[in-house]
Amino acid sequence: MGYAGLQLVNTMFMQELCERMTRQFDCDQVMHQKDDLSFLRVDRDRLESALMYLKTHEGFVHLSFVTVIDYIEDGFFRLNYMLYNYDKATNIGVQVDITRENPSMHSIHHLWAQGWTYQRELKEMYGIDFPGSPRVDEEFVLEGWDGIPPMLREFDTAKFCEDRFAKRDGRESQDIKQTMRDNLYPERGES
Amino acid sequence: MFDLKRYSEAELESGKFTKLWHGPQHPGITGNMSLELTLSGDDVVECKTHVGYLHRGFEKLMERRTYIQNFPVVCRIAVPEPTFNEYMYAAAVEELAGIEVPERAEWLRCLNLEMMRLASFLMWLGGACGSFGMSTVYQWTVTHRDYMLDLFEEMTGARIYHMYISPGGVRAPLPDGFSERALSVMNGIEKLLYEIERVALNNHIFKMRSQDLGIIDPEMVDPYGIVGPNARACGFKRDVRKDAPYLVYDQLDFEVITADKSDAYTRTLVRYQEMHQCISLIRQMLEQMPTKGSFHADLPNVLHWKIPAGQTYVKSECTRGEYGYFLVSDGSEYLRRVTIRGPSYTHAIAVMEKLVVGVNIADVAGLMVSLHTYPPEIER
Amino acid sequence: MKLKDLTSPFYVWQRAFEKPYTQSKPTLNREGAHAYRGFHINDIEKCVGCGTCEEICMNNAIDMVEIAAKDSKKGDSGLVPRFDYGRCCWCALCVDICTTGSLRMSNEYTWAADDPDSFRFTPGVDETSWQDSEHGYRRHPEYDLLKLVRPEMEMLSPDEGLKSFDEVVAGYTHEQAVVEADRCIECEICVATCPANMDIPGYIRAVREENFEEGLRLLYDTNPFSATCGRICTHRCEDDCTISTFGKPLAIRWLKRYIVDQVPAERFAEILNDEITENGHHVSIVGAGPGGMSAAYYLRKKGYGVTVYEAGASGGGMLRYGVPSYRLPDDQLDKDIDYIVSLGVEVKYNTKIGHDIEFQQLMDKSDAIFIATGMDQPSSMRIKGEDHPRVLSGLTVLNDVASHKDPGVGKNVAVIGGGNVAMDAARVCRRLGADVTVLYRRRIVDMPADKDEIKEALEENCNFVLQAIPVLIEDAESSDQVTIQWGEAEMIAEDGKRPRPVLQEDRMHTDTYDSIISAIGQSGDFSFLPQEISDQLKQHWGKFEVDQRQRTAVGKIFIGGDIANDVADAISAIADGKNAAIGIDAFVSS
Repeated sequence: MGYAGLQLVNTMFMQELCERMTRQFDCDQVMHQKDDLSFLRVDRDRLESALMYLKTHEGFVHLSFVTVIDYIEDGFFRLNYMLYNYDKATNIGVQVDITRENPSMHSIHHLWAQGWTYQRELKEMYGIDFPGSPRVDEEFVLEGWDGIPPMLREFDTAKFCEDRFAKRDGRESQDIKQTMRDNLYPERGES
Repeated sequence: MFDLKRYSEAELESGKFTKLWHGPQHPGITGNMSLELTLSGDDVVECKTHVGYLHRGFEKLMERRTYIQNFPVVCRIAVPEPTFNEYMYAAAVEELAGIEVPERAEWLRCLNLEMMRLASFLMWLGGACGSFGMSTVYQWTVTHRDYMLDLFEEMTGARIYHMYISPGGVRAPLPDGFSERALSVMNGIEKLLYEIERVALNNHIFKMRSQDLGIIDPEMVDPYGIVGPNARACGFKRDVRKDAPYLVYDQLDFEVITADKSDAYTRTLVRYQEMHQCISLIRQMLEQMPTKGSFHADLPNVLHWKIPAGQTYVKSECTRGEYGYFLVSDGSEYLRRVTIRGPSYTHAIAVMEKLVVGVNIADVAGLMVSLHTYPPEIER
Repeated sequence: MKLKDLTSPFYVWQRAFEKPYTQSKPTLNREGAHAYRGFHINDIEKCVGCGTCEEICMNNAIDMVEIAAKDSKKGDSGLVPRFDYGRCCWCALCVDICTTGSLRMSNEYTWAADDPDSFRFTPGVDETSWQDSEHGYRRHPEYDLLKLVRPEMEMLSPDEGLKSFDEVVAGYTHEQAVVEADRCIECEICVATCPANMDIPGYIRAVREENFEEGLRLLYDTNPFSATCGRICTHRCEDDCTISTFGKPLAIRWLKRYIVDQVPAERFAEILNDEITENGHHVSIVGAGPGGMSAAYYLRKKGYGVTVYEAGASGGGMLRYGVPSYRLPDDQLDKDIDYIVSLGVEVKYNTKIGHDIEFQQLMDKSDAIFIATGMDQPSSMRIKGEDHPRVLSGLTVLNDVASHKDPGVGKNVAVIGGGNVAMDAARVCRRLGADVTVLYRRRIVDMPADKDEIKEALEENCNFVLQAIPVLIEDAESSDQVTIQWGEAEMIAEDGKRPRPVLQEDRMHTDTYDSIISAIGQSGDFSFLPQEISDQLKQHWGKFEVDQRQRTAVGKIFIGGDIANDVADAISAIADGKNAAIGIDAFVSS
């Protein structure tokens, strides 16, 4: 079977899988991004069992990464667990929305041996707690950081640099419109 | 997990253990990271990895730049292999924006990626030999990598940070006479590889030191998320180029290279064979590549380019395995979130911490290199 | 253990006889690859200082700076980019996006200096060894980040157009408008070129973001005749659009029209929300053309009581009587004027100053007066026989058509002139069913008419006879006809001046037409001004001398429009109106 044929089979597999998942774990949203990638949204407390099911019964043995998207306007974090099934060559992103206030999530370090590294990073960069995850409170990338977690949307990198570093002298740019106005029509137009 | 801190303090006073910092500057590591080793005599009993010496906050920087402005940023995430970042970023943006890339651009991208793999492998091979005391090989490979950089310079206009694969295609076609020069560099590298086979891979000392070092049990592969040559060396026939072919890999002739025992020596052999594979793929591409046609798709005005809200994950096979970009767009001129997934994230931390236990201190660098880790992709 | 594993490494000794990889010192200078992205080169002759390089630079490494060698002028800000090599990453996006192609790179990559500030330099101005380099990165011709192609505007076919006075240009569809607006790079170079200095990038952005209410507000900040200008503006801005170096300029005029077309007239008041607080002062305005009504609008917004005196039966001036309805339908002009009037501007139609009311009366009752009477008197051809009854003026023909009267041009018409009035007259005659010949003294490129008008006139089968100088007009055999004698001209350039047509007396022609329409220019009629005021107002080449805010030597008199500016188009008159309003406000409150 050629690659295209394989893809068709996989697409059907993905659709059926998503239906199964929706029935079993009440996924409130399913999004098929492409033939070999779908996203599922599950409830915070059902995540662990959903991941466990995908890993042991559906062949999604590989955890590609764990990440989070900060929706500051709506007050929640969207965690994303990206799994991969080598036999079907398909990715599935399992997503969970958690509140932005005192965020905390169940740890998955017992499902994947590298899970705790991601959780340690998320704790440091977003302030999301994973109770029970090994070394979750240790510094990961930062050293002696006392500000808010720096990957949060409200952390202003430009302001951070302005506060911390001296501005280089002689760096001034002129506004095109204002320059032309001053030079060509200083007394016309807006008053 | 036991409380290492309390344990170490108590034992250090007993004089039985030594604590040693391996890194952050160490020739056995590609990039800066450190291993906090607890030693009993010459042997490692416990290891903690520390990263953060390279953190530049790329993922955050990218949230503050427009889609076109990000394209020169991403290549800087990994010095030895910038092109994969360029390609993954471009592919993710194209997918969300619904842009069709011209066929010729796909060939040029694929050629660029495969050349990048070869150049990166050359640097790695030198490091692998160097960390076992054969720095002559390092000098050979770095020289030939430089010849590759000359090719990149000609093809893309820069040696290290090519900024060649931009969203929509590539920025220029191949210059005149490029194929001939590329082929002659390939011949040189092929000859060099046979020399290295004699001098290093068949070297009794090299074998003694690397065989049975840092064995990855096949049972470890899935729980630890081990990918690339590290997984292939213990029999897993997994390669993104075959599993989910991207660009023009489905039109090229190559087999996934595997072996049956993932120790430092076998991993070196697998990569050695993959270097030959790279050369073969580059030759195939130079021969089959279309020489006419558009190499860049029509983009909307990049100065205020908005991409429809959506999310995707794209991946490719870099020298170390699955390399991917997870991109989330919220419909504005700026991306919402990008997560860069590099294989070293697990190879250099969870896997390394496990494999290094019981290893002689002199072999730690060799083990680290044999896992082929790039710290910059851990702390994007 | 295999014996081979012990012997094979000695292969390395073979290397002892090979040429080493390393190079002996001093190393030769290695030249960068042909397309290497090295240090920047800028051709400051070509650079127009649009600042797009600064805009796209992701490192914030570029500043736009003034230099001694270059001044601002229309279409060129006079600024040039200065690079901070402490920040530059040589990605060359600035080269890719450069609108004029002035910026590129050399393949030079070594530069050592004691002073770190020297790495902040202005290519093309500061002396560098690579400024003339032939090598280095430049944008590949088949790769472009700028959007160069304009969506095709739907228009009535010439055949279809000739059947009626319906509007020829359909206007953009939604998709077209958004695509076209997307092309704008917001360099703001065009703002200085627009006589009214409209915020062009601002309202184009509003189209792109589909925020037409904001678009309308931006338009009315500088121009209360947006429906009109969106159709017939001379769009000088498009001539200086930086995209036009390599592609079609932005269709700025059509985008303006698109905004106004999206907003129904009933919603103007609610969107523009012009709140008026009466300030007790009164201004009289002479002429309800674009200049007068524009001044009325901005004065009214400032709280002035405004009375406009108009000799004609309706407002709009030359826009109504001089521009045929296939270019500007009456209802669109009414849309603009009605909104201004709705703010409480009093317009007295059919009221001629000096005839129905004396100028001195206005002087007595107003705090200030703005005169924008326009030029409605056709200029003379200064040839014998031009008072022949079959010689009509272009303005009269247009005026008749606008007032739904038959100008009686006959079946075979000659139009003399190359301006917009000539083109309009010719095209109107085509719509009335006549065959039209256009006689013009110079070449097509010299014609003062809009390029679009010339193109459309040609498409509508107007026969152009160029380099033709009329000499004499005589009676024809039939009393319904007229004969014109004209000679061919050669374009002769004398000492670098603009070429001038010179009559070739040996190549004369004589043709007979049903009528001849003269459209070689207009002038103003100022007989309504009392002599003592007229004496105080200075004139120069038929135009009144005014300051930047349209004020004359007579304190409370402000003058604008065609009778004051050299450009003599609608948008300049509108600009004059707004500036007069600002000037009058400053004058009255001081």
